[in-house]
Amino acid sequence: MSSTENIYLPKVVQLDRVVDEIHEVRTFVWHFEDPVDQAAFKKFRPGQFAQVSIFGAGEFPASLPPSPTENEMFFTIRTVGGCTAALHRLQPGDRFAVRGPYGNGFPMDDYAGKNLVFVAGGIGLIPLRSCIVYALAHRERYQRIQIYYGARTPRELMYLSNLRAWEQAAEIECQLTVDRASDGWTGNMGVVGSLFKRPGVRVPVENTIAFVCGPPVMFRFVIRDLLDMGFREDQIMSTLERYMKCGVGKCGHCCIGVAYVCVDGPVFTYEQIKKLGEDI
Amino acid sequence: MRTDERPAVPAMGAGAGRRSETDMGQTLTTCTFCGVGCGIYLEAANDRVTGAYPSLSHPTNRGRICVRGWHVHEVASSPERLRSPLLRRGGRLVEATWDEALGYIVGRIKEIRARYGPDALAFFNMPRCSNEESYLLQKLARAVMGTNNVDHGSGPYCNNSINVLRDMLGVSATTNSIGELFRSDAIVVDGVDLGMQLPTIGGIVIRAKLDGAKLIVIDPRRHLLAEHADYFLQVRPGTEALVYAAMAKVIVDRGLMNQSFVKTHCRDYDAFVAAVGRLDLLGAAEASGVAPELIEGAALAYGRARAAAWLYSTGVEARNEDSIRSAVNLVLLTGNVGRPGAGVYALTEHNNLQGVCDMGVSPQWLPGYRDVADATARRTFEQAWDTPLPAQPGLGARDMFENGKGSTVKALWLSRYDPVTSAASNNVADVLARMELVVVQHLFPVAAAEQAHVVLPVVAYGEEEVSFTSTDRRIQLARQVLPSPDGPMPVWRQLMFLARSLGAGWAYESSARVMDEISRVVPDYSGVSHENLGRDYGRQWPCTKDRPLGTPYLFDTGIPGRCFRFRAVAPPAEVALQPAGYPFALIFGHSLYYWHQNVLVKHSETLRRELRVLLLDYPEGFVEISDEDAAALKIRDGGRIRLVAEKGTALTTARVAREVRSGTIYVPFFVREVARDLTGRARSGLGDLDEPVFVRLERVDSQ
Amino acid sequence: MRARVIDQADVLKLVDLLRQDRQVIAPFCGRGRDSYFDVVTDVNRDRIRLHVPNPLYPPKRCVLPHIERMMRMRRAAGGLWNFEPDYAETPLALFGVRSCDVAGVRHLDRFYLGREYVDAYYERRRRNLFVVNMVCTDPEVDIDDNCFCVCADTGPAARDAFDLQLMDLGGGEYLVVAGTAAGENLFSAPFFRPATAAHVERRRAILTEVRGRFRSTTSWFAATVRYISRGDVLDETWEEIGNRCLECGACTFICPACTCFTVSDRRIGKDEYERVRMWDSCALKGFTRMAGGFNPRRAVHDRRNRRFFRKLAHYFIQRELSMACVGCGRCAAVCHGDVGMPSVVEMIRRATAIAVPPTAESASVPSEKVTA
Repeated sequence: MSSTENIYLPKVVQLDRVVDEIHEVRTFVWHFEDPVDQAAFKKFRPGQFAQVSIFGAGEFPASLPPSPTENEMFFTIRTVGGCTAALHRLQPGDRFAVRGPYGNGFPMDDYAGKNLVFVAGGIGLIPLRSCIVYALAHRERYQRIQIYYGARTPRELMYLSNLRAWEQAAEIECQLTVDRASDGWTGNMGVVGSLFKRPGVRVPVENTIAFVCGPPVMFRFVIRDLLDMGFREDQIMSTLERYMKCGVGKCGHCCIGVAYVCVDGPVFTYEQIKKLGEDI
Repeated sequence: MRTDERPAVPAMGAGAGRRSETDMGQTLTTCTFCGVGCGIYLEAANDRVTGAYPSLSHPTNRGRICVRGWHVHEVASSPERLRSPLLRRGGRLVEATWDEALGYIVGRIKEIRARYGPDALAFFNMPRCSNEESYLLQKLARAVMGTNNVDHGSGPYCNNSINVLRDMLGVSATTNSIGELFRSDAIVVDGVDLGMQLPTIGGIVIRAKLDGAKLIVIDPRRHLLAEHADYFLQVRPGTEALVYAAMAKVIVDRGLMNQSFVKTHCRDYDAFVAAVGRLDLLGAAEASGVAPELIEGAALAYGRARAAAWLYSTGVEARNEDSIRSAVNLVLLTGNVGRPGAGVYALTEHNNLQGVCDMGVSPQWLPGYRDVADATARRTFEQAWDTPLPAQPGLGARDMFENGKGSTVKALWLSRYDPVTSAASNNVADVLARMELVVVQHLFPVAAAEQAHVVLPVVAYGEEEVSFTSTDRRIQLARQVLPSPDGPMPVWRQLMFLARSLGAGWAYESSARVMDEISRVVPDYSGVSHENLGRDYGRQWPCTKDRPLGTPYLFDTGIPGRCFRFRAVAPPAEVALQPAGYPFALIFGHSLYYWHQNVLVKHSETLRRELRVLLLDYPEGFVEISDEDAAALKIRDGGRIRLVAEKGTALTTARVAREVRSGTIYVPFFVREVARDLTGRARSGLGDLDEPVFVRLERVDSQ
Repeated sequence: MRARVIDQADVLKLVDLLRQDRQVIAPFCGRGRDSYFDVVTDVNRDRIRLHVPNPLYPPKRCVLPHIERMMRMRRAAGGLWNFEPDYAETPLALFGVRSCDVAGVRHLDRFYLGREYVDAYYERRRRNLFVVNMVCTDPEVDIDDNCFCVCADTGPAARDAFDLQLMDLGGGEYLVVAGTAAGENLFSAPFFRPATAAHVERRRAILTEVRGRFRSTTSWFAATVRYISRGDVLDETWEEIGNRCLECGACTFICPACTCFTVSDRRIGKDEYERVRMWDSCALKGFTRMAGGFNPRRAVHDRRNRRFFRKLAHYFIQRELSMACVGCGRCAAVCHGDVGMPSVVEMIRRATAIAVPPTAESASVPSEKVTA
């Protein structure tokens, strides 16, 4: 009698290189030791996450910011606790372990033919990056693609090189803003939602999917703005975060109301979020 | 430090082929986290504790335990513990054998004693230590070393209670049983946050209240039990004695005192009642910040109850003697001693504070609370121990580590005690650095071990069979459920080997033999043996030959004559006036976050998460202010604030807590910089009842 | 189901039979009214007691231990790391487990073996577990005031999820029913004899009588399930419940239908760590605290709300095919503040009925609550 595969066993990966992003945030580029694991994992969907084990420290969930269309696998992680601090101490060549991909992800293929509007704040851009890059890699499938992104200061803008490219690219409309200027910033100022009201900016509503990700306050205000614009609740997508231990719907830590964020999410429509049975 | 490879934590039952004949799979034992002494079962398999759960039938907890008890198995199996004696060589601690370590200690002790005299040695333990090891520690100090420098690490805080209760009641412990509280018609919870400190008692009080008992809570903080109170007296800190005096006045004015009890059993009533008569009730209400009708209601509820219990804490939180006297006056006034459901509960928060005190770990008391200066008492012990004993009271832990009075001490023995972490002052490390010998006995590599010359590993809970005495005098066994590990040794056995190496003829085959000796020298323990304790659920002292089943509540067979006494307490000449411009009074608290520092809690991931998370939420420390004050001053939770006193300024972080009394600021004991910055010196906590500190509060805006 | 009869004196022979190739775990008396499940050895075999108050420490730990090692992580040559899972392969027999606990195991089966993923550790323990249910028939000993399996529809006799079911018929006879082929295989032992119609009738009569001996026999869950599922319970009610909760976690730990755990990595050697999992509880404040400090359920009444939502919301009942409550009553026994399931159901029913007027809605209940 065969037993099922053990979903809790991670696979060993090796750290290739580390890129400093913003203060306390770094990107860790890695690959699976076993190419079979690598090939299997590469079938992940934008919006999914993985469980990351650092030897001697513990395990924590991490969003997958690369698109499955890209070659490299990486995480972008801020130091917040013991496990993430241990990751930040690793050097290229060190091993750690990953299991996944988990979660439902964004159904990007369902959105074919639609406009895509990405609204992000601060490190909220990390999970959405996967969707943006995926959409650009399949540009012909989608109508207009817009990005509205802001951070507190210019130094806190994530993935700056990507942002600069997106600002220049003709196929995507990218607007940036900061709450407070510094370092010679000459761009927009104000909260992310202020970008919607800039002259010449038109956010499509019909046949559009809005992706929203950012700190709780920003989230609330942006939702209000989108609803005022006429978006339906099922047109607004977001990805929720909760403390997780198992990532596979067993330990109970990530449950909100009726949903286990790790298996029923982390991607939800705003309509679903409202009906979870508990405030987020 | 070497850590061994640990066998797998097995599920229940796995590998049962290795079971012992006594069938130790499920063993009834006593939880040793706090002074309640709940009955729990430990499950053990493959040399590890794999589970813990409550005993349904234990008369104290009746099937309930708190979050700490539910995680005993996690703590017990921690891989961090010390496994071998360590000796400092060349500046580093290296592994050594027991012979090497003890040999070194003996040599140094002999040199130091020869050069400086016996009082150059001092022995300190913690109120977590068992009765057996505590008894032997003080015997080692007195009978072998010749010094009374012996104390436990929370020393100063409980002595006030012991002194007052001995003086007024003739006995120094809780008079009734925890399990009786369901029979109380009124319960006073005075200055102790039961829900956090002694949850099992908190639950019993809540259930008693739900069953109809009147609940009176007196506390500057609005804690969980205060939410249930019929009368919540949110006193201005330091004015409790005024409230008790006011309650006494109400009871006397209404004629609710227990006349026959007072007349038959109490002395010095007249002086007391005269002092009560002089009290200005409205003035007391005003000074204490409690509405007079609330004081009256509480007094009437207490006075009218058929049986009323008064609960206060002795352990970590200090109370001054006058405050305790005033409370005990009320107990006597209403005759609430010697009946089930009545009584005064001098709660001990540490699991064996009661036992450690009973065993004489004190610079001034021999076992059984006999004064070292009393020649007759000394003679009894000199005969029992067959050696002359020192007559001078010794040095206590606080004098040693906080008041800078330990300059004559050259050698320190620290038994499960880490003063670097627990003592309230900042300069313990300096004190240790001056020592010519520091010996640390502990389970884990604690801070004090870093400065030790010798570190001796002790066995963990479940690896030895020893006894502890709960806050309601219940002497209980903590059973051995695991085989003794290689390397660590029980503390009592280490002390025995040390004594023998120093020439004393100590020969105890087991911890039970130590208890046999205790029973011969401590009258209230004279009927105690491990065998007797092992039946039922331990025994409450006095447990004597005449009362082998113990004593659930004191004076149950009657009160001998007029053995109680009132103590008139002069109302404070003036309640310290708040200087204008400094509208907040600081409360320096010890007990509320005590468990943060508990070494066992640190080694359990779940308990660490539950009890220490404030240290993560406020990494730079915090002080607590009430939500009303925060709103008025527009201070948000986590915001930086400045406290400005007459003598200094402190910068810290605000934690907004609705439990805090408006006009007060609570400073947890581990936030030492605040005390130091504001008073100009390291503060030793509430034991120092000198002038209160008043501050004004300023918001520090972030840039 | 096939039925046999066995003499009371031969029940221990059944234990012996099982012990030939399994470790048997059976109930014993502790001190006072304490009881516990423990491994049967030659030394304690004669002390097995089937009529005993239901042991407080739940037998769910045979499939979901209080603490278990999931794997070891060991550094190997070249900087690589090896993961070695630790599986429990010992065949176990749970002998004399009550119907409420059997329902608990069934509930855990659906949770750990169903849904999106199969839990490998649970699966192996469950596969190696042989369940012998003991029907509660002695109202003085087997049942206490806290029991309400009849309200949760899980007892006094389990309907399924057992291999064998024992029932004391009195007069020195036990009825034995097989629930699986594995159970039926044991019927070849010589101490079984066929059951007659009279035996079956005796069983029916005993069950009817026993059902009447529970303190509460009506199902008062329905109204509370409705109120909770619709989000009608008042905040004040949750606050009142929260004020009585001392955040000990006991209700979760002893609940046969509770499943949450936490995972911890601990050093066990020079370059070796173990990953263990241990029971955890949503009653505890840190359960949802995220690194960085945000805690969506900081207040204790929010956690009480969470617990009872997870236990009773219609959504979960539909999804898991049973309530996450088996009526064992342990939570009532271990709770400091008397906010176990029976008290809470009662408090919610009373308080909410006053606040929410009855409607003519059908029994089909929407599971969602619209939040602002």
